[in-house]
Amino acid sequence: MRKGMLEYCILLLLHREASYASDIIQKLKAAKLIVVEGTLYPLLTRLKNDGLLAYEWVESTQGPPRKYYRLTNDGAEFLRDLEAAWDELAETVNHLRNDIKTEQK
Amino acid sequence: MKKTLTVNLGGTIYNIDEDAYALLDSYLNNLRYHFRKNPEGEEIVRDMEVRIAELFDERADGRNCVVTLENVEAVIARMGKPEELNDAEDEAADAETDNGRKAVRRLFRNPDDKVLGGVVSGVAAYFKLDVVPLRLLLLVAGCFFQWLLLVYLAAWIIVPLARTATEKLQMRGEPVNMENIGRTVTGGFGRKDGGSGERSVWRKVGDVIVRVIGLVLKLCLVLLVVCLLPGLLVALVVVFSLFLAAVGVLASVPALLYDLSPVFDWNAVSSFPLAAGFLSVCGLLVAGIPIVGLVQAIMQAFGNWKPMSTSVKVVLVLLWLVALVAGIVVLVQSPFANSAIPFVDNVML
Repeated sequence: MRKGMLEYCILLLLHREASYASDIIQKLKAAKLIVVEGTLYPLLTRLKNDGLLAYEWVESTQGPPRKYYRLTNDGAEFLRDLEAAWDELAETVNHLRNDIKTEQK
Repeated sequence: MKKTLTVNLGGTIYNIDEDAYALLDSYLNNLRYHFRKNPEGEEIVRDMEVRIAELFDERADGRNCVVTLENVEAVIARMGKPEELNDAEDEAADAETDNGRKAVRRLFRNPDDKVLGGVVSGVAAYFKLDVVPLRLLLLVAGCFFQWLLLVYLAAWIIVPLARTATEKLQMRGEPVNMENIGRTVTGGFGRKDGGSGERSVWRKVGDVIVRVIGLVLKLCLVLLVVCLLPGLLVALVVVFSLFLAAVGVLASVPALLYDLSPVFDWNAVSSFPLAAGFLSVCGLLVAGIPIVGLVQAIMQAFGNWKPMSTSVKVVLVLLWLVALVAGIVVLVQSPFANSAIPFVDNVML
């Protein structure tokens, strides 16, 4: 569950702008979604292998070139599917919660 | 005061304390081991190396430019231990294989505790015996049964050295999993630390004595082998003449070799092409395999060649023996070896 969430969030972040691993880590940490940073790397590699992400090397002013990840067309499509699934899930959960609340009243 | 090392981490150079280096190295090795089943494992670890380098950069403030043990510990805490990084999918499978896998026990030479080649130490680890009595036993037994020394030498050559943590665990027959690997690395590290910390004069003297004894033993062993096998020299001569014969037959310039190897009746050679051909193959194998081994050993020591696998070594040794025996048998029975027969008989005795 949490794992799927993480994937969804990574795709969301990358949908807005291409970024490199440390940027993603910072954002995810700010959102308290990951505890240890190492978790991200296997995930990124898996998403890349599934064809949802692609990366390119970008020169950086400080230090070695960085891998910038971005969403592929497949990735964008998958993100739309995920979004639909998420909306549906959220709606169901909200519905249930409202039901319980009305019953309690 | 600490010794520092220079490392290249993700393309940037860092000075790092020796103990910090050992910890970081074992951490990266553990990561590699953790992701070994992942086809992209190398890439993941490389990316993580880059990130670790970045974290070192964040920490470095002008004055303090050496990476210390505390820095590495902090970075590891931030990146997470390998067992915390499980990808949900392979988590179950991983746990299953780690626990379900039987402890593999393999014979290795022990590099951490050795006098000569670490053979006895490895055998002791294999059978879970104490190494000192075993050494004494071999030493005493070696005085009476000289062939034991040959067995030792053969084992030294054939049995591989336990290089990695995995191999060291297999040497002791412990299951290869995350915890044990971590223990091996930190255990070896701790031992080294303690040794250098409380190194008294007596310890130093003891070390020197052990080293001198080891050196003398090595010398004696070499001398013994040379003395024990006067036949070895004769055999070498035979091998050489076989080799010459092979070259001669192959190049069809036997005329040049008439005087060099009087063992053969060269006129008869050409009339038995089958035996001659067979002999040349045997000669080539008998002379060629040691050359291959020598080249391999030299390139392994000075070049960057990978060590031969045990099975290849065994096959080569067997092939060599078969070629040698077959060559001698054919040579003795072949019609063109007139004066060779008494000569070869001597060797056989």
